[in-house]
Amino acid sequence: MALRVLRRILVLVASLAVSSVVVFAFMAVLPGDPARVALGVNASPAAVAELRQQFGLDQPLAQQYLQWIGGLLRFDLGQSYVSQAQIAPQIADRLQVTLWLVITATILAIVMAVPMGTIMALRHRQLSGLALSAISQIGVAVPAFLAGILLITVFAVRLGWLPANGWTPPAQDPRMFVRQLVLPVLSLGLVQAAVLTRYVRSAVLDVLREDYLRTARAKGLRPLPALWRHGLRNAAVPVVTVLALQLATLLIGAVVVERVFVIPGLGSLLLDSVSNRDLIVVQDVVMILVLAVLLVNFLVDLLYLVIDPRMRDVR
Amino acid sequence: MTHRLTRTVGVLVAAVCLLGTAACSAGSGADAGQGQPTGSQSGGGSQSSQALTIGLAAEPVSLDFTTKDGAAIPQALLYNVYETLVKLDQQGDIQPALATSMTVSADRKTYTFDLVDDAKFSNGHTFTADDAVFSIERVKHDWTISLKSAMDVVKMAKALSPTRLQVTLSHPSNDWLYRMTTRIGAMMTKDGVSKLATDPVGTGPYTFGDWKRGDSITLERNDNYWGDKPHYKTVTLKYFQDPTALNNALLSGTIDVVGTVQAPESLGQFTGNPKYQVIEGTTNGEVVLSFNNSRPPLTDKRVRQAIRYAIDHKALLDTCWAGRGTLIGSMVPPTDPWYEDLTGMYPYDVAKAKALLKAAGHPHPTLRLRVPALPYAVSCGTVVKSQLEQAGFTVKLDQLEFPAAWLTTVFTNADYDMSIVAHVEPRDLGAVFGNPDYYLRYDNKAVQKALLLADEGSEQQQVAEMKKAARLICEDAAADFLFLLPNLIVADKDITGLPQNAISESFDLSQLGRS
Amino acid sequence: MSRPESPGYQPPTSEVPVGRGARRAVNPSLVVGAVIVGAVIAIALLSFVWMPHDPTLVDASKRLLPPGGDYWLGTDKFGRDVFSQILMGSRTTLFVGVVAVGVAAVIGVPLGILAAMAPRWFGEPLMRGNDLVLAFPALLLAIMFSAVYGGSTLVAMIAIGVASIPSFARLIRSGALQVMDTEYVMAARAAGRGPFAIAVHHVLPNVSSLVIVQASVSFAIAVLAEAALSFLGYGTPPPTPSWGRMLQESQELLWSAPRLAIVPAVAIAVAVLGFNLLGDGLRDYLDPKLEDRR
Repeated sequence: MALRVLRRILVLVASLAVSSVVVFAFMAVLPGDPARVALGVNASPAAVAELRQQFGLDQPLAQQYLQWIGGLLRFDLGQSYVSQAQIAPQIADRLQVTLWLVITATILAIVMAVPMGTIMALRHRQLSGLALSAISQIGVAVPAFLAGILLITVFAVRLGWLPANGWTPPAQDPRMFVRQLVLPVLSLGLVQAAVLTRYVRSAVLDVLREDYLRTARAKGLRPLPALWRHGLRNAAVPVVTVLALQLATLLIGAVVVERVFVIPGLGSLLLDSVSNRDLIVVQDVVMILVLAVLLVNFLVDLLYLVIDPRMRDVR
Repeated sequence: MTHRLTRTVGVLVAAVCLLGTAACSAGSGADAGQGQPTGSQSGGGSQSSQALTIGLAAEPVSLDFTTKDGAAIPQALLYNVYETLVKLDQQGDIQPALATSMTVSADRKTYTFDLVDDAKFSNGHTFTADDAVFSIERVKHDWTISLKSAMDVVKMAKALSPTRLQVTLSHPSNDWLYRMTTRIGAMMTKDGVSKLATDPVGTGPYTFGDWKRGDSITLERNDNYWGDKPHYKTVTLKYFQDPTALNNALLSGTIDVVGTVQAPESLGQFTGNPKYQVIEGTTNGEVVLSFNNSRPPLTDKRVRQAIRYAIDHKALLDTCWAGRGTLIGSMVPPTDPWYEDLTGMYPYDVAKAKALLKAAGHPHPTLRLRVPALPYAVSCGTVVKSQLEQAGFTVKLDQLEFPAAWLTTVFTNADYDMSIVAHVEPRDLGAVFGNPDYYLRYDNKAVQKALLLADEGSEQQQVAEMKKAARLICEDAAADFLFLLPNLIVADKDITGLPQNAISESFDLSQLGRS
Repeated sequence: MSRPESPGYQPPTSEVPVGRGARRAVNPSLVVGAVIVGAVIAIALLSFVWMPHDPTLVDASKRLLPPGGDYWLGTDKFGRDVFSQILMGSRTTLFVGVVAVGVAAVIGVPLGILAAMAPRWFGEPLMRGNDLVLAFPALLLAIMFSAVYGGSTLVAMIAIGVASIPSFARLIRSGALQVMDTEYVMAARAAGRGPFAIAVHHVLPNVSSLVIVQASVSFAIAVLAEAALSFLGYGTPPPTPSWGRMLQESQELLWSAPRLAIVPAVAIAVAVLGFNLLGDGLRDYLDPKLEDRR
């Protein structure tokens, strides 16, 4: 067991190293000199050269890479080319915003999807199951931003119940924070719930077909209690996996919802930085994203070892 | 437009005379307000909301306009945080600000400014002529944006006393004093420039409060301000990339003002509503269909003219910008003293366009229209393409990411045939058409000569020569002028002092009030 | 949706297929999905031979006409016929899906088979690298690709395709692993057939049903991605009609002409629904085959 954990850690570190090179290389090939873009079109060549020097852009790529990585290891994400501001606090701010959004949306999605998916599986041949299935299918087919636009049009513009957009930190004004969070969380969470429902359904269906569950039911247990007693753990595995896999998609995918609701999250920072060629910020954001995803996958791997003893023997 | 002309002549005369002394510091606001109530005059009885939130479109990337281009920085900071010696009022006239009066020598090369003595920078330092000298010299030496070239003409700036500044020019220049009303003229202080990008220090009615990147900039009323104190204690400039989101924010009450409407089609939802006021005026933003004048077949004047004839400007304005805005026909907005209506020079005439193309030997030219990925440019590009193709052109429409890709491809490398962009700098005819290296690659000696004469001559000469330059450019079809962006503001009914025309670089907050 | 998988997780496969006969029957998902997808393809083909109006022709005198008469779904703010744009936009939708799915399948399928057949020291890192791509979401890749190579539908969709490679590779690998365990593959091996021959003649045909299912699902994802990218301004550049851009352009008119948003929104949702249903239906229909071969 310890050996397996150690192996996973090694894989994690190696993955991080490889992805840092990939991310850095990708930025290096982006056309458009960051110094020139940072200074604007009318900057004199001398000013551009000076900025290049200031940010070490005139040094060999390998050296630039090492400096960047060295900084990352010391939690120093560097300074923005464009605004000259320190990047770490900026990313921390934005990440906080996005995490609120993503985590509440995910909780909403789980709360909705688990019961719905289970019902759909248990009644998959009945009309109610089919109806739920159809609803979730439609949910999957609606882009999150469209859901957002609809929600704004109805609840903010027509009915005036909630603010159309904006973000207030919870510490500043908790009431406003909640009011502003409702619609974006709904638009992200509902679509997410639809996706997740389908995974829950198929996971539960798979478990229902397992021998041990058939045995339990043969012994007279009704489907739901049987599932509760014997199947939940097994059904949880694929669902947790999907959640983990969708993390990266959600963190960045939230950008569309952030744009609709004018929320200053991580995705918006990334988009702005790409268009301003603030490459160092892009690099940092992408790297943090990769780190988050790999870490979550790592934790999920560990979780498997706990949830499903069978996995310990796999391979 | 003659009234405007006389007024501007008046300005220049006034500039030569004294602008009044003590009365000036109190009156700088009243002059500019022009009939609009200027707030409830500092600290009045109105204890209504002391906070105002204004929704704007483009967020600045930095707060340092000495090294970063872009209209968003001066929009937020100029006249609000930073002040200038002279400023522009609603009519485009030059008014006193930190300088209470000014005299100009007979040879028009030496300017002497009397300065206010009670202005303080937000770091506590008192504003003196030394700061003015420092600011002027800093433009010449440390600024990196191209606009700084407006200061090249200054030979020497000297503090005669703490409240008297003398500036000597190397040759007479009408443009210089005008540029002093823009960001170029912003007054800074030696110990306040170390963190321009994040922490601006000025003498203005507002001080910089906080910048939540990706969201908003907050300005706080400067309680030590030397002039009339503004009405609002806190003004938040909130940035929205999505025009619809900006409208929705006003509709659901999270903001009080939409400072620049970017989705004119949506105005209808406010116009009939008694809760809101809609202000429509002009700006300096000429939406230009620029030609790469160095690239065949556009080197042929007849091809360029054909393009101008083939565009139905009225229809274009109606479809792209919901008919809001002004057809200009040249590079001059109606608020400039040398404005002339040249829209009649190239009436919509497809037959004529076809004939010109035929005469030029290019009956079916293929042109690359590379537009920045901005709403107005993409909209106009769609229409221009469709219209030109009616006249026999083949147009390849490219959408380039803005700013990076567009700047590199079109602006720096001039790898394009046509582009569409709003030139929003004030009085930018010379910058765009007077410099053969500019991305239009337009090299016309007669235009350059007229521009030079305009700058150095008397004010009458300036107007005459600028008119001549504008006509030459227009006749030569160096570009097509699609329309002038409107100043569109929507606000809660009770907000006063909003500018009719956006002709300075600033969104002037000092005039705002609540009725 | 693809079977959820992650490192260390093996999909729970049904040991005893339930109601095999019933599942073989054509199910409603399959029918509805096939009809919708067929309809999208049909109108795309139709747009080559017939369209009521030129979908790119700007005409200020005809702007914002309500539906009816000559213009079945009305006109947009440029005076362009909405119905013709929907017809023409279906081509973009199909193009988007074909490119994205093509890229993902052409790279992902061989990768998955390779990972299944290769020795562990090679296959394992290959899948780890594959997992790494998952850390780069489709939207991020598309935006970066657009920044590098200029905004175009092709570029964005190649990015979406690249981002979809891992899901193909994983699914195909797990399918291929099952096939590798079958007796006839063992027999082929014993008969001395080379790994390439085995991959082409035995593994590929047996995982093809998985490929079809995944392709259908990825198709839906690509259509959604194009809409999201168009909304952010990185999608199909004008004037090529695209449902995503129609939706984006309709935003400022939402209050006065909501139909301009509703029409493309419904088109997108129905197309995505169609591809998802087709994928689900195909899975239910084809899945047992794999198990049959055991």
